[in-house]
Amino acid sequence: MASKDLIEASNDLLRRLNPKNTTENLNSLISLFRNDPTLTEDLLSDTDQPLLVARDSENREYLLCDWNRDGDSYRSPWTNKYTPELEDGTYPSDALRNREIAANQAFDVYRELYYDRGVSSVYLWNQENNDFAGVVLFKKSVGDGAESKGTWDSIHVFEAKAVPGKAKFSYKLTSTVILNMVSSGETIGEMDLSGNMTRQSGGIFDVYAADLDSDREQDRERVDADHIANIGKLVEDLELDMRNLLQEVYFGKAKDVVANLRSVQSLSQANRDRLVHQEMISSMSKR
Amino acid sequence: MSTDAIETVSGFILDAPPGELKDVLSDVKALIGDDDEIVQELIPAVAQYNKEQLVVVKLPGSSVLVPVSDANELEDGRFCDVESSSSFAFDHLNQKASNVQSWTLESQNADLIKSLVKATSTHVSEHYPSNPAFTVAPIENDSKVAINLTGAKFSPANYWNGRWRSMYIFDPSSNMLTGDIKVDVHYYEDGNVRLLSKNTLEIEIPGGSASEIIKAISKKEKDYQASLNEEFETMNQGAFKALRRQLPVTRQKIDWQKIGSYRLGQKVGLFPTHQAQE
Repeated sequence: MASKDLIEASNDLLRRLNPKNTTENLNSLISLFRNDPTLTEDLLSDTDQPLLVARDSENREYLLCDWNRDGDSYRSPWTNKYTPELEDGTYPSDALRNREIAANQAFDVYRELYYDRGVSSVYLWNQENNDFAGVVLFKKSVGDGAESKGTWDSIHVFEAKAVPGKAKFSYKLTSTVILNMVSSGETIGEMDLSGNMTRQSGGIFDVYAADLDSDREQDRERVDADHIANIGKLVEDLELDMRNLLQEVYFGKAKDVVANLRSVQSLSQANRDRLVHQEMISSMSKR
Repeated sequence: MSTDAIETVSGFILDAPPGELKDVLSDVKALIGDDDEIVQELIPAVAQYNKEQLVVVKLPGSSVLVPVSDANELEDGRFCDVESSSSFAFDHLNQKASNVQSWTLESQNADLIKSLVKATSTHVSEHYPSNPAFTVAPIENDSKVAINLTGAKFSPANYWNGRWRSMYIFDPSSNMLTGDIKVDVHYYEDGNVRLLSKNTLEIEIPGGSASEIIKAISKKEKDYQASLNEEFETMNQGAFKALRRQLPVTRQKIDWQKIGSYRLGQKVGLFPTHQAQE
């Protein structure tokens, strides 16, 4: 059987099964594929899982995901060090690391403005030539120990490619938000409203045309600032769209479906009301 | 096929959203193979799923809808329906009924069960607009009576499916009504969102008559649906708002040209026309 079919079937399953169990289901699928490391890697990079929070050697919180993992170690965006320590871990080039530092500062500001608390992390990695890719992450939890709890995980993966012959870059963004909400209590019993949604966006934007080999710090900083602004606007716009979409699906659509399953009003009464209403309209139109 | 693999995919089957068993089964077959021997090993999980989910089947040659459940399963694996005085064979994999035969209820609570069938039938048709179905059957060596009712709506073209299940047990010796109400909604357009809710009840029905039982059920379901609707609003206004703002407190998007000069805890200078409000 072609391995593509296995990946397709796995992705379809993960789209259907309880999103609260994605990590467990992923591990089950990996155990089914134990003879195939390529399938496992593909599945891990295709599937967005809730982000884990850890503290680095300077006691600062950062987010763990597949993109800052090397073996069993994770790299902190603040210290650029792996925990547990790693001898020959993967790092961005020096120039890209400078951009990563600036991006982490900028998106930490974004985090404070939109989330108040929570944790942010940005990871960048080199592609061919001057192209690069990265991920912007946010995580926030509320209501620890209260009747209703919630967690929000944002995972924004992007690619930035130079447009040949122009001072422009083409950006592609794929964003996933994992939103889990749970209420429990005597009246409500248990209510779990959880899941994830994915959307895409992109565009071609100007980037300061510095000589690629420019050693001037000023030039490099200007290029970095342009990339961060371009990615920042894309992330900000798409995250706003997604917040509105999630609100509509979780608290509008889901509620509407429940009303489709069971009618609070008795259906015969609803029918009588409808007939009375129709008679009123037709008698009015006869006049 | 290893028993571990069968156990793993059986877990997937039991987790299938309402109306999506066929899709999950087809994925499972793509993963572990679809020869007859393997498919036979999946049947126990599929049967458990159908009964837990109160999967509804139309009896051939009639318009009667009956859910399958542990309560109305007979010893030989067939299922019974008190209302139409019939029993039928059920193909769990294809969710189809066949071989309908006439069947007679034998129970010390037969009168109560027959009255409950009438009362439940009215209740279900008054409140369940989509695929309403129910079963009333003697359980636990004829000592108690199970009342299962359900409504489900599947809209795969619009990427959503949902099912309401109410599963009650009435004990005539103590006049206690116990049970669970479960709502399961799946929305999966460019995502995977699931509502799973459960409410447990325990009510004493002093007179123990069918009409009193259904009256109590009707009130409980109505109250529960009201509190569920309220909770959607509470979550939206409470936890959801507290997770992420729609816009920063300044009501403006970020000025990205100035983000580099901004320092945390010092909200001045980031916004062109507004000073920070905090």
